[in-house]
Amino acid sequence: MTYTTAIFYFFASILVFAGLRVITARNPVHAALYLVLAFFTAAGLWMLLEAEFLAITLVLVYVGAVMVLFLFVVMMLDINLEKLREGFWDYLPLAGFVAVLLVIEMALILGSRHFGLEVMGAPAPHAADYSNTKELGRVLYTEYVYAFELAAVILLVAIVAAIALTLRRRKDSKYIDPAEQVKVKRNDRLRIVKMQATQKPGAGEDGA
Amino acid sequence: MISLSHYLVLGGILFAISVLGIFLNRKNVIILLMAIELMLLAVNMNFIAFSHYLGDIHGQIFVFFILTVAAAESAIGLAILVVLFRNLHTINVDDLDHLKG
Amino acid sequence: MRHALMQFAPAFPEIFVLIMISLILVVDAAVDDGKRFLAYFLSLVTLAGASFLTLRDFSTLPVLTLGGLFIDDPLSDVLKLFLYLSVAIVLVYSRDYLRQRGLYKGEFFVLALFALLGMMVMVSASHFLTLYLGLELLSLSLYAMVALQRDSSVATEAAMKYFVLGALASGMLLYGMSMVYGVTGSLGLGDIAIALQDGTDLRIPLVFGIVFIVAGLAFKLGAVPFHMWIPDVYHGAPTAMTLFIGSAPKIAAFAFVIRILGQGLESQVSDWRGMLVILAVLSMALGNIAAIAQSNLKRMLAYSAISHMGFMLLGILAGSQNGYGSAMFYVLVYALMSLGGFGMILLLSRAGFEADRLEDFKGLNRRSPWLAFMMLLLMFSMAGVPPTVGFYAKLSVLQAVVEIGYVWLAVAAVLFSLIGAFYYLRIVKLMYFDAPHDAAPIKASPDARVVMSVNGLAILALGIMPQPLMAVCIHAIRASF
Repeated sequence: MTYTTAIFYFFASILVFAGLRVITARNPVHAALYLVLAFFTAAGLWMLLEAEFLAITLVLVYVGAVMVLFLFVVMMLDINLEKLREGFWDYLPLAGFVAVLLVIEMALILGSRHFGLEVMGAPAPHAADYSNTKELGRVLYTEYVYAFELAAVILLVAIVAAIALTLRRRKDSKYIDPAEQVKVKRNDRLRIVKMQATQKPGAGEDGA
Repeated sequence: MISLSHYLVLGGILFAISVLGIFLNRKNVIILLMAIELMLLAVNMNFIAFSHYLGDIHGQIFVFFILTVAAAESAIGLAILVVLFRNLHTINVDDLDHLKG
Repeated sequence: MRHALMQFAPAFPEIFVLIMISLILVVDAAVDDGKRFLAYFLSLVTLAGASFLTLRDFSTLPVLTLGGLFIDDPLSDVLKLFLYLSVAIVLVYSRDYLRQRGLYKGEFFVLALFALLGMMVMVSASHFLTLYLGLELLSLSLYAMVALQRDSSVATEAAMKYFVLGALASGMLLYGMSMVYGVTGSLGLGDIAIALQDGTDLRIPLVFGIVFIVAGLAFKLGAVPFHMWIPDVYHGAPTAMTLFIGSAPKIAAFAFVIRILGQGLESQVSDWRGMLVILAVLSMALGNIAAIAQSNLKRMLAYSAISHMGFMLLGILAGSQNGYGSAMFYVLVYALMSLGGFGMILLLSRAGFEADRLEDFKGLNRRSPWLAFMMLLLMFSMAGVPPTVGFYAKLSVLQAVVEIGYVWLAVAAVLFSLIGAFYYLRIVKLMYFDAPHDAAPIKASPDARVVMSVNGLAILALGIMPQPLMAVCIHAIRASF
């Protein structure tokens, strides 16, 4: 067993374990953390496949942003955990059987008969000065510029939708409106009252 | 030596786990969303493995876009989840029975 | 076909729509509640402008550009024009409904135009990536639109179901695409077709991938057994959103199926035809039978949508240019009928009253003979009664199926449409022979009434003279394949 083979099996077994825990964990917070583990190990495997940029992106985007969003929502919503688990074990035997069957069938199709090393050999590793990021960038900003713009539009939709759906003005919170604040004139806030200067009887004698 | 089919079978296992998760956790919308993320991870694994063994960078580009879209998708999904929770005070799929399908 | 590496001119309609969306976003953020009509008005201007741009550069031969991601051919131009038309009709029908329910906001119009942009990207896609991005742009906008009525638990519930099943469908579709990529080594539809021309020694993985692609497509089309979201989403969403989901996206979904199966996986027709036969038969059977039991018109039309998608699949599974042409004719006609059907619910609704139950249509003839007549035309057309266009649409897909020797399939389709005729005609009976149980006057705005009249009469006119539209469809398919 070579070094990379050992690494592959190590990461793959962690990935499968983490995936199983995501769907069986009792607590959604644990599930989210196992999903983070799954993404981390998947990033490790992608490194083996020489997709360095995507491996880093997976960690940055998923672990850094998407999973934090998940955790945030899980913790924000007050969820009754026990009720959500009812019936889980009743379905497990049948669903588990179907899943194992699915995996065996997929393994038959995806196995070495069609995609083994004899059919599709491993490519030679890239030279040390090969930059995966540079290659990706070169294609991304030329051939795929249309798709790149579309991705930007999709992110804009996500922004518009998330704000339209969740932003609400609470009646019990107080808001400040910077535009109103800036527009304030001196005369709105400060009133100078002209008063006759008077002297309290006996005030002068105290100060002396 | 690790062959392409190793990665594809791993992707297949992940895909099956996520399908299993969707059927088992029909009650918990958050876990459903996580199972969908797992499914996209399986797809990405396939694309990157093919991209590596075919020596073709376009598969990696596709993964780049899947990651972007998945981020947008989970933002919208969680937004809908929050709105739903404000309305019903539950994320239990069984309580979503106003619409009988 | 002409190849151009980077030529932006064919994508002018898309660019224009995107610019206008940005403009509407800014304008709507700056004005107060009294001036929301600006967003409505600008949306209609956007549609008119995009129609002008598409018509001006109407393509005669396909142009592949923007790095091979974008194709501008007669098929995409014709479909885009129908997309603009149906979105415009949706906006006119739903304006009063939205205003009465506090949904008359810039977000609705912006999301509707984003969805339109996604559909335009889909119909002009020549690459797995643009198909996927267009589909997601459409789907994400639709999820948000359904949830836009955020204080309604029914609407948000529908949005959640739509979202989870839609995301699952995207996952399956992507898994299938990854297998096809692995087998062919390319992502562009043209390259895939070339790679598969002489067969491949990885046939089993390819069919495995096609199974996933067809399952994902069936989810998006709402074909049985992947239909469970359709009735719930149609029923739960505010009627204006149901109207939107039920019309233009069907046209885009047709383009999606045609591009993947008809152009990319053209040589594998013997593999996917069998799958589509199963989907079509099940959809026609379940859609028509389940619709009988419904008491809610939105749910009934949802099941009717399922059966109509089954009929459209008949044309596609023929795998011939005549079949694709008749499927295209079918989907355009269906979009028109669906607009009319849901539009009628919108016209009869008022503040606090949805008009979506069957009994709300009782005695419509006495309340408004003209609208009742329009509804009669729509129902006849959906049932496939001559001389309405629905008859001709059904006839042409059946011809395509018979041409490839599937006579039993055509016979089954006719039987199911006979069952379907029952529930459409039940509505006609309710309108003409029952006493109204609601005497309130119908407060539809004049422009919506005019559009409804045009919509209903178009169904009749197209039924009497179907040849021009059919010729356009056949020409668009011939010139693009």
